[in-house]
Amino acid sequence: MAHAIAAPAGHETNTGLDNRKLLMWLFLGSECLFFGSFISAFLLYRNRNLVGPYPEDLFDIPFTSISSFVLLMSSVTMVLALSAIQRGDMRGLRIWLVATALLGISFLSGQAFEFTEFYNEGLTLKTNVFGTTFFVLTGFHGTHVAVGVLILLSMYVMSTQGTLTSEHSLAVELAGLYWHFVDIVWIVIFTLIYLVQPT
Amino acid sequence: MENPELVSGIPLIIIGVLGFLAVAGLLFAPDRTPQAASEATQEVAHPGGHPSPAQYIGIGLFLGAITAVEVWVYYVDAIADALTPILLVLSITKFVVVVLMFMHLAFDSKIFSTLFVGGLLLALSLFVVVLTTLGAGLT
Repeated sequence: MAHAIAAPAGHETNTGLDNRKLLMWLFLGSECLFFGSFISAFLLYRNRNLVGPYPEDLFDIPFTSISSFVLLMSSVTMVLALSAIQRGDMRGLRIWLVATALLGISFLSGQAFEFTEFYNEGLTLKTNVFGTTFFVLTGFHGTHVAVGVLILLSMYVMSTQGTLTSEHSLAVELAGLYWHFVDIVWIVIFTLIYLVQPT
Repeated sequence: MENPELVSGIPLIIIGVLGFLAVAGLLFAPDRTPQAASEATQEVAHPGGHPSPAQYIGIGLFLGAITAVEVWVYYVDAIADALTPILLVLSITKFVVVVLMFMHLAFDSKIFSTLFVGGLLLALSLFVVVLTTLGAGLT
């Protein structure tokens, strides 16, 4: 059954918009600053390492590009989950929520593998500024992805219990906004940290 | 370990693809519930101008293709001098498409755009100020 985007539930607002959605966008705006500062720090300290290992010694672009593709596809499954609940298709919602969570877990597995490999090559938080800035930036991003996976799995459980129904499409939309933001942060990280080569 | 990606990267991909196929199989398996007939007509563009599920998949494939181009460009020595601007253009394209189409910023209130773009501009300003005053850059 087709229906318009969920109207604010209950109370009136000055903007005519749901305060929860407004808050989520405000939060994402602040997260831009959060990740922007870490990315700036990484770029600031690029080429200023006193000792190795250096980025060019460690980065495996084919492997990371596959991780990037996995996370990108998780955005597709997430928006399909939102589309499903907005149509009232709860079965589709559950399928796409699980698919998104699985892709997110795959991405995290790739990150864990990469971190382990870098550690085995001698890169730690304290080795050089590359280690510090890289692990802090990608570690925070990975944490965000992990939280997103927990949110998605929680929603799946709630939908199986009947707590999350087609009337709660806003909840899925808010989770989707968070997940897509995590994806676009990785788009920036993959390009600026992995692909753009220092001269 | 000479080829670590062969140890875990490719198996991860295989697991991911199998998982996706399993999910797709579940999704497209016949639904015999009474609601199936009415839901069968829902594969159209969502009211309010939002893309349909098929269009979302098309957008996803487009984004995947851009990612493939980014990686390809990385390995082409002939355009090494133009690598940074090319990568920036491609990544900005992906960024904008995800924000406008997946996050629905193109279809929602402009207040949301203001909040997000405001934060983005602040981050970019921080970026520019920090890097230029401290003598750093993208490369």
